[in-house]
This record gives sequence, C-alpha cells and structure tokens, in this order.
Amino acid sequence: MSTRVVITGLGVVSPIGIGVPQFWKAALEGRSGISAITSFDPFPLEGYRSRVAGRILGFSPEQYLPAGQGDRVDRYAQFALVAAKEALADADFRMEREEPHRVGVIVGAGMGGMVMGEREITQLYEQKRPHRVHPNFIPVITLNSASGIVAMTYGAKGPNLTISTACSSSAHALGQAMHAIRAGTADAVIVVGADASITPLVFAGFCSLRALSTKYNETPERASRPFDRGRDGFVMGEGAGALILESFAHAKKRKARMYAEVAGYAATSEAHHMVIPREDGEEVAITMRLALKDAGVTPAQVDYINAHATSTTVGDAVEVKAIRLLFKSRADKLAVSATKSLVGHTLGAAGSLAGIVSALTLTSGQIHPTLNLDDPDPACALAGLSAQPQTRKTKVALINAFGFGSNNAAVVLKSLSA
Amino acid sequence: MAKTSDVSDKIIQALADYLKRDAASIQTTHHLRDDLGLDSMAVIEMLYRIEEVFNLQIPDQDLVGLTTVGQVIAYVQGRVAPPKASAKAAEHTPAKAAAKKPAAKPSTKSKKA
Repeated sequence: MSTRVVITGLGVVSPIGIGVPQFWKAALEGRSGISAITSFDPFPLEGYRSRVAGRILGFSPEQYLPAGQGDRVDRYAQFALVAAKEALADADFRMEREEPHRVGVIVGAGMGGMVMGEREITQLYEQKRPHRVHPNFIPVITLNSASGIVAMTYGAKGPNLTISTACSSSAHALGQAMHAIRAGTADAVIVVGADASITPLVFAGFCSLRALSTKYNETPERASRPFDRGRDGFVMGEGAGALILESFAHAKKRKARMYAEVAGYAATSEAHHMVIPREDGEEVAITMRLALKDAGVTPAQVDYINAHATSTTVGDAVEVKAIRLLFKSRADKLAVSATKSLVGHTLGAAGSLAGIVSALTLTSGQIHPTLNLDDPDPACALAGLSAQPQTRKTKVALINAFGFGSNNAAVVLKSLSA
Repeated sequence: MAKTSDVSDKIIQALADYLKRDAASIQTTHHLRDDLGLDSMAVIEMLYRIEEVFNLQIPDQDLVGLTTVGQVIAYVQGRVAPPKASAKAAEHTPAKAAAKKPAAKPSTKSKKA
C-alpha cells in the first residue's frame, strides 16, 4: 500500500479574509469578496468591459510578515509567504526539527509577478532607458519566485517546484506534492497556490478574451454566479492558499492534527483547444474517474464536490455534464459548492483554496453556500448546489480544476475518520 | 457617413485576411462557425480586428447576435450610422435585428479558465 498523505496545516489570503478562521467564517456566512474597480489609473476605466474583481484591499506585507521579508518579491509571492506562514504555524510544523532536504515546496501560480512586470515593461518602452530596468526585475518575474522565497524563508531544502497550468496550477501542486511524498522524496511539502494579477494589462487581456463578467459592473457582489442562468463570465480574484502535506507516518510521529488525507489525483490534457473545453464533458469525467481510482474510492462513495465553476456559460455546463456522466443518479445526491462565487477566480490560487475549503468541509461537515444562485440554470442544475450553507456528513471530497491549455486536474480528499 | 457597401467590403476583407482566403469566396449568408469554421475564440479574434477597423468597442452582450457575416455587417453598419439616428437605436437595433435568427452563440464565455 502506498504512503498515505495528510494535510496538517492551512493558510489563506483571500478577498473574504486573511487567515483561515476569518476566511471560513465569511465563506459559511456567504459573504462576497467581489467589489467594483473604481480606477486603473492612468488608464481610462471605460476601456475595461469588466469593472469588478475579488481584490484584497489594503493589503500590506508588513502587517503579516517580519520587516523586509516581502520586500523583494511581487504581490503574489507576498500572499504566498503570508499563507505559508499561517499554514506552518497551524500545523505546528517547526523546520528546526526537520531534516531540511526532506521538506519540499511546491507552488502553483498562473501569472506570477505581474505587478512589477507590467511596471518595468511600461517604463522601458516609454522611457527607452534599458539601463534603468530594475535589477530585481528578472528574479521577481521568474515564475518560481514564490516557491523560492518560501523555501528560503523557512530553510526548506527539498524538492522546490513551480507548476503553472493557468487556473488549475495549484490543484496540480497538491497532486504533485502527494506524489513526492508517496514516492518517498519528501516527508512534507509546503503547497501554495498564489496569484495577484488584477493589473492593467492582465485584466485588459482577460477583458479582450471576453472571459469576464460584464453585466454586473454596478452590482459587483452579484457578478460571480456559477451555475446561475444570469452568469456571464468569471470575475478575477487574487489571493493565496497554503497547505502543509505530510506522510501519515511523519504527521503521526510528531502528533500533528490531521485535517484530511490527500488520497488521489489525476492530471490530464483534453488535447483539444487553448481556451475552449470539450463540450461533451468526457475528458473532465475521465479526469475525475482517474482521481477516484487513484484514491481507491468509487463514485458512490463521494459526498462533496468543490466544483471548478468559474461562472462562464459553457464551462459550468460542461462540468455538470461531466459530473452527470460519471456519477449518474448519484449526481443529485452530492453536495456541491462553488468557492469562486465568494472570492472570484483567483487563478493560480484557486486549487489551493478549493483544497482548504474541502479539508474544512471534511472536518466540519459544513458546506459553504454558492452565492447568487438565484435562478439555477437547468443546463447545469444539481440538487446538491445551494445558495444556503449546508451541513452534511462528508467523508470523501472531490476537487475539480481546469486550466487554459486544455488542462484538467482532479484531487480527492478523504476524511481521516472514514 | 459610411455606406453599407463600404462596411460590407471592409468586413469581408477583414474576414478574408483573417481566414487567409479570397474575399470573393465569402458570402453574407455564411455562418461564422458552420460555414467559415470559426470557433468562439476565432470569432473574438475576428471581431477584435473589426473593432480596430471601425474604431468600435463591441460589448460582450452584443456577440450573441453575431453569428453570420450578414449579421456582423448589419451590426457594424448600425454602430457607425450617422448621429441623426439616436445613439440608443444605433447601439441596440442591429443586435436585436441580428438576434432574430437564433443560432448558437459565437460566444464567448466558454473558456475553461
């Protein structure tokens, strides 16, 4: 039997709260983290079709990190540091007691250091002074800057990887961390998902792709509405989630509190289209099935799905089609929730937030509401979706995550009391 | 004032350039997806070119009615109509007219994201 992998610590930076207790309370209360974008100074706001986002307003790293720690990295990596710090403390994971080369860091990030990236590119092209490009530009925009700074901060010398598969990045980070521990190359892995790219260029790019919600600019908290008939695109969010994964034996030895087991994972490609999913849902169904098989559970044992559910017209419908394909009559018995209805689409952080939500659901039996489900779309209706919080006994949770580049991931968590 | 034929020629030329085919082979009755083979992403790219040619911003909700070459022409013609026509009419009439013929959305919110 392969090594069991467990989650022992959680950390969150999100538009509805920094810190797991704040985040989870807000999630169960169904609070929206979506607000209006009132300025992209100096760019004219009318040039942006969408003007809503799940932003973390007023964040400064000094509030959460020792002086200087977040100074030389971009906003997304600052989020990563804050989330990792909380998760390590939550797990009571002390590096001084660990063999450093047995502790890895795996980060999922879709966009990376775009705040500085955009600023430096703009300055170079406007001022045409190449010698004035900041010396820290390359280290900051290099996509593994977050996994690097987390490892440096804590002295984690094991496998240090960054996975960038757009919106599914940190679901793969979870899965790859599970693989590393199963393979015996690490006792523990600090898993982080992070992105902070609600920046003038990236946001404009998603507008041009016509992927974002544009109908709710005057009522931002209504814009992210997965599975609702009125959905019209996703809402960009930002944030980070961190999870400490350990082998069961390692966690048990140090008497760690265990939230849940990371029991299965699947990674597939639809090999279909850069941004459009296969409409029949078959590839998504296969991905879920492979993850369940890896976890040694049957579809009949699944209680809860944390859906990818970005609030796009086709995406949500495809996901439900896939759920129906795989789960058949059980599809309507599953509890389902869409975390993006609360915080928007945090891109690289999304999978890690889904992991945190699922771990908390497995330990508490509480399922956060899916916001704005005012008029459920028959094309993607599931009986277990609710605008109200639910309480159900949950032993097996399934996380879906899909990314541009025809990328799919599914992760299975199991309750340890199962 | 832009004449219908000007708009039509420019759009067909933009489409021809995008599709790398002879403008003469493109007809107003052609369905963007079924006849010209444009998927939703390609429609968005093509409209991005048309926005540049006519200095327009096409709102997401108007895409629903743009499924044939003729609908795109009628829509753009409406948007570039002289100011005599009320701005409201210019903005909405073409999309409504175009939307009369129901068809699969060229759309848009189909991303995996």
